[in-house]
Amino acid sequence: MDEIRNEILNIEKSAERLKALAKDNNAIRKNAEIILTFLYILKFITPTADTGA
Amino acid sequence: MGEFWNAYTETLPQEKLQNIEFSYFKNLLAFAKANSELYKDKLKGINTEDIKTFADIKKIPFTYKEELRKWQEDVEPFPYGGLLGIDIANVSSFRQTSGTTGKPVYVPESYESWQWRIESWCHILYMAGFRPRHRVFLPFGYNVYVAFWEAHYAAEKIGCEVVPGGALDTKGRVNKILELKANAMCGTPTYLLNIAQEAMSMGIDPKTLGIERALGAGEPLPEATRKRIEATYNCKMYDHIGSTETCGFAGMCEAQQGLHIVEPFFLVELLDKDTLSKEVAEGELGVIVITPLGRRSFPVIRFNTNDVAVKGPSTCECGRTSQKLMEIVGRVDDISKIRGVLFSPKTVEQLIRSEFPEIVEYELVVTREDIMDKITLRMEADPKLSRDEVEEVAKRLGERHKIKTNLSCKVVVEPPGTLPRYDLKAKRFKDMRGKH
Repeated sequence: MDEIRNEILNIEKSAERLKALAKDNNAIRKNAEIILTFLYILKFITPTADTGA
Repeated sequence: MGEFWNAYTETLPQEKLQNIEFSYFKNLLAFAKANSELYKDKLKGINTEDIKTFADIKKIPFTYKEELRKWQEDVEPFPYGGLLGIDIANVSSFRQTSGTTGKPVYVPESYESWQWRIESWCHILYMAGFRPRHRVFLPFGYNVYVAFWEAHYAAEKIGCEVVPGGALDTKGRVNKILELKANAMCGTPTYLLNIAQEAMSMGIDPKTLGIERALGAGEPLPEATRKRIEATYNCKMYDHIGSTETCGFAGMCEAQQGLHIVEPFFLVELLDKDTLSKEVAEGELGVIVITPLGRRSFPVIRFNTNDVAVKGPSTCECGRTSQKLMEIVGRVDDISKIRGVLFSPKTVEQLIRSEFPEIVEYELVVTREDIMDKITLRMEADPKLSRDEVEEVAKRLGERHKIKTNLSCKVVVEPPGTLPRYDLKAKRFKDMRGKH
């Protein structure tokens, strides 16, 4: 599960960067935001069992 | 058994799930206090940092439906008022409650919150055996109510093929199921029985429709009704529970023994009815208090649903480790006193669905004449029965009602098609005392 969590964090960094790069392009920015929405869910469904963090 | 939507969270030990839920609860509490007008006000004297242990959750006050209504009335931004947890510009869909108990509550969903709901619903459908091979027919009006929108998107996400059955009458829906060979359905239990009745009136045996499994929503599903639907369609019938305010939060697995809470999406407390302060023990009745832990557009904390359920174990032959609700008894409000006797309409539904397959539809009306409460049980019988047979059914129903409820009633036989049919929440119990 740790490897999965790390990968989620990597994708999150990329999606944030994509969003920033595309601040003048509605379509790319919106799709980057949608990736971030699903990353929110991915983080929610892969909690650390001890702390929930 | 042992197939999961999320093999990680669905098999975590209960103690670990509790830790995760506590952590999510604290995050939500801080978020709500910072972003929702309702909770800025409600949590005024509470320092969220003081919530240090799971037991401290009980220090947070309940949220009641009346408060949700109050915080929407004449409070900006229209129409969600103080319930919003996000900027209104980020609301992507509108839903509302049915208004069964008063003015409807308007519920804002952001794209994020909606996808969170859908993820939770995927657990419910997957538990009920919905898989990519299913062509799911949804006989639903696709309107402002949340029911079945979640089923639609979750079925898509699981990989099923979804057939939206809106804007068709019941006959049209029967024809569409046949035409497309749909093999799964979601619907209110009442409406699934209505579809079967309509099919029979068209000369079609519902067993030949090819429905392999179905999921009930929107109404309680007593065991007798569940079995009746299974026998009528020759299918597997599953139940779930949820509401617009809370999302769908528990579902039935293939073992069909109670409903698994979708953990860690929801913190569900089952509290003793009298004091609402203690968790009930396994096998006991408790009021369901619920916190959806990841929905930020409309944060709701310790929502008192007024629903009563029997607490179940956190073990199951399916391998899931989540807490179970063994039986949804009904709403606290539904259990009323008639002539001094506690009466639950669900008892009558159980009786009719288990012992009277000849009864197609019914309605219970309670009135008060002078000081005396009177129950009238209106029934519609299968039109194929003779007059003598219908009279025999009515007589037997009156006798069985008396035995099951300790209350006598007047049974009135109505002509076929007289009583209302419902495709969303059925309203078969009408308490007219004090209304005339």
